[in-house]
Amino acid sequence: MLSVEAVSKRYGGGNWVLREVDLTVEPGAVVAIVGGNGSGKSTLLRLMVGVSRPTLGQVSGRPDVVGYVPERFPPNERLSALAYLGHLGRIRGMTGEAAAERAEELLERLDLQGGFDSQLRTLSKGNAQKVALAQALMVPPGLLVLDEPWSGLDADAHGVLATIIAETAAAGGAVVFTDHRESVTRANATRIHRIHDGRIAAAIAPERAIVEVALSRPDSDAEDPGWDDLDGVVTAVTHQGQLFVRVDRAHSDALLAVALRHGWSIDSVTPEKAAS
Amino acid sequence: MNALIRYTFATTVHAQRYLAPVLLFCAGVGISSGNNSGPLPGVYALNAAISLVCATWLTIAVISVEDPVHRAITVVAARSPIRVLAATVAVSALLALGLTVIGLVMPLVLSPRPVSAADLPAGALAHLLCGSLGIAIGLVCSRLVFRRQGYALLVALALAAAALLTTGSPPNTLFKRMANTSDAGDVLPLALALLPAGLAALAVAAVITHVVSVRRD
Repeated sequence: MLSVEAVSKRYGGGNWVLREVDLTVEPGAVVAIVGGNGSGKSTLLRLMVGVSRPTLGQVSGRPDVVGYVPERFPPNERLSALAYLGHLGRIRGMTGEAAAERAEELLERLDLQGGFDSQLRTLSKGNAQKVALAQALMVPPGLLVLDEPWSGLDADAHGVLATIIAETAAAGGAVVFTDHRESVTRANATRIHRIHDGRIAAAIAPERAIVEVALSRPDSDAEDPGWDDLDGVVTAVTHQGQLFVRVDRAHSDALLAVALRHGWSIDSVTPEKAAS
Repeated sequence: MNALIRYTFATTVHAQRYLAPVLLFCAGVGISSGNNSGPLPGVYALNAAISLVCATWLTIAVISVEDPVHRAITVVAARSPIRVLAATVAVSALLALGLTVIGLVMPLVLSPRPVSAADLPAGALAHLLCGSLGIAIGLVCSRLVFRRQGYALLVALALAAAALLTTGSPPNTLFKRMANTSDAGDVLPLALALLPAGLAALAVAAVITHVVSVRRD
């Protein structure tokens, strides 16, 4: 379990960026860190992944496989998306073949536009962000740390990202992310920490009502309405032939109507307990 | 480790920042090994001196190629900044070995001359000594240690000049002996004895670079 104990950080002799921060992230938790610009969010994430070291205090219990998606992915790399991911997969101990396969799978899932084989520097901001996300997922991470991952991503990728976060947590990985939009943090996090002026506040459980809807296709005629794009959908995952859609309570009735209209059958509707 | 070295090598090759120092070296070697350039040990001494400056430049180029944010991602993937730095040193050393080959072979190609059995080993040792010192200077003058490139350039020039011109420094001692002999066999023991000094300097520079870069992050 990742634990940040009494960590303070400053660069050189400058001001304290973080002061006495305590935070534990248990496996399966999805923790959101919210705060204004310059509040120390990014610094805290860098400490968590081990790129930066605390001035005081310590960070312990970091899992073996850590995925880190920085806030901006600099577009000066001349390698292609596939070559870059292949290298990072091999650095993480994959064989070249497995890395290439995984890279292609992730880029297809994230729907990278602009060519898997074109240089990273030619990609748009959102597409570069998809490559940054893919490199963190080459090996399923025990700790996934995302710095403002939604910025620059298109609407389709928003849904995929939410699903990836949910999947990582379901597989026992811990997820920590930052974002400044309430709607995003509320929908995805099991716990929200507010950070202000280098100090972190105790966790708040997101106030939200999420309903999990299990759907199945009675026959193969049922159409796919594009679940991720529907209003209020947090994640849509297929598991053993059933489709599980997590949706905001306010939009669940509309979703059920869409499902019935497209020939799907509703197996169950379960309110999700708010995590504490 | 192999994967890290391959990645560092690939980014270096793609960015083409290695070209300028390599071309500078070829030009320098071309001038130093023309006709009437005297006995081979003296030519090799001069080439080794040029390789020190070029190895410094190459090392700085290898490190500058990777943006700090990319480097952070690589450090997380490799699970240690030490391994990433080691890959940088390995790639710089490979490039310095390339310079060594150029520095040894080009004089023979440009103006054929008699070669004694000790010429090549003595020349190779001089190049390796200068290559390791060059990488050492490049490491401590890289972005990992200096934020301001102007200061880094000034310090790199000062250190390279000090390493080459200070009386009593390993390269300076070796060069003087090589320039004043026509039989490389005479300088072979000295060249062999001085190489550990170069490797030690490289190790110290790597430790300094690691400590400073980790404290800074």
